[in-house]
Amino acid sequence: MLTFVVGGAGSGKSAYAEKLLAACPAPRYYLATMQIWDEECRRRVERHKAMRAGRGFHTLECPLNLVGLDLPATGSVLLEDLTNLVANERYAPDGAGPGTLEAVWAGLEKLYGQSTHLIVVGNELFCGGADYSKETVEYLRLLAKLHRRLAARADHVCEVVSGCPWYYKGKEPFYGPV
Amino acid sequence: MILITGPLFAGKTDFARTLWPDPETFPDKVCIDAQNLAQNCRDLSALAERLSRQYSIITVTEVGGGVVPTDPVQRAARENAGRLSCMLASRADTVVRVFCGLPLVLKGELPE
Repeated sequence: MLTFVVGGAGSGKSAYAEKLLAACPAPRYYLATMQIWDEECRRRVERHKAMRAGRGFHTLECPLNLVGLDLPATGSVLLEDLTNLVANERYAPDGAGPGTLEAVWAGLEKLYGQSTHLIVVGNELFCGGADYSKETVEYLRLLAKLHRRLAARADHVCEVVSGCPWYYKGKEPFYGPV
Repeated sequence: MILITGPLFAGKTDFARTLWPDPETFPDKVCIDAQNLAQNCRDLSALAERLSRQYSIITVTEVGGGVVPTDPVQRAARENAGRLSCMLASRADTVVRVFCGLPLVLKGELPE
C-alpha cells in the first residue's frame, strides 16, 4: 500500500506520517534523507529523533542513491522526505544531476518493491508564486512532476493542514490495530 | 464556466484538457493562468465578467502563499491574482482544485 502525505512547513505532516507508520506491521523503517550541512539541520534531526524515540522504528540514512538501498527485511517504510532527496540528487556533487527525475523514481519503485507499506512525505512549496531564480523554478517543476507521478500511483494521497489530513484520494488507511 | 484552481505545476492545464479535449478550439475556450491578466488591471470586476463570458474553462494558479513580497509591484500582483480568483469563482458554475494532479470539487459539480 502506497500513501503520499504532503504539507507545508510546520503543518504536522511528519507527526501524522509517523502515526501512520506506527500503525503499520513491523519491521518499521524510517528512511531519513536529510544531509547534515549545519547546526540548524542537526537540531532539526534531533527534534525528529526525539519524536520517534520509543516507537520501534529502525532509522536508515539515505540522503542519496535510493536505488542502491536494500532494506534488511521486507517491511513498512516511511520516507522522510522527498523534497530533500530530490534536492540532494539534483545539486550534490555526487548526485544524479540532470537525471534526478528518473533516478528518484527508480529508487521509489525499488523501495516500494521491498515494502508492504510505503509512506512518502512531500512538501507543499507551490502556492507562493513563481518569482524565483530560473534554477529554483526548474527544481519546483521537477519536484511537482514527481508529486503528480507519485499521486497517480498512490492508493492514498492527503494534504496535512494544522495536523489535520485532507484526503484527495483514498482515505486514511486502516492498517489494523495500533 | 468551470474554474480550475491549484498550486504551481499541479496539473491544472492537463486537467482542463480532459474537460476540453479538442485541441483546435482549446485556445478559444480555455483561458490558462488568468491570474497573469490581473497584474496591471484597474477593473478586476470587468475583467472577471469578460473572462467568464468569453471562456468555458479558466485556470488560475494560487500564488498567495508564502511571505508577502517586499516589492510593491509583486505584492499588488498577487493580491490582484487572489481577488480575481474569488470573482471568477463566484461567477463559476463549478470550481475545482487540482492538487498533485488530483481534482477536488469545491463548488457545483463536474460535467459527466
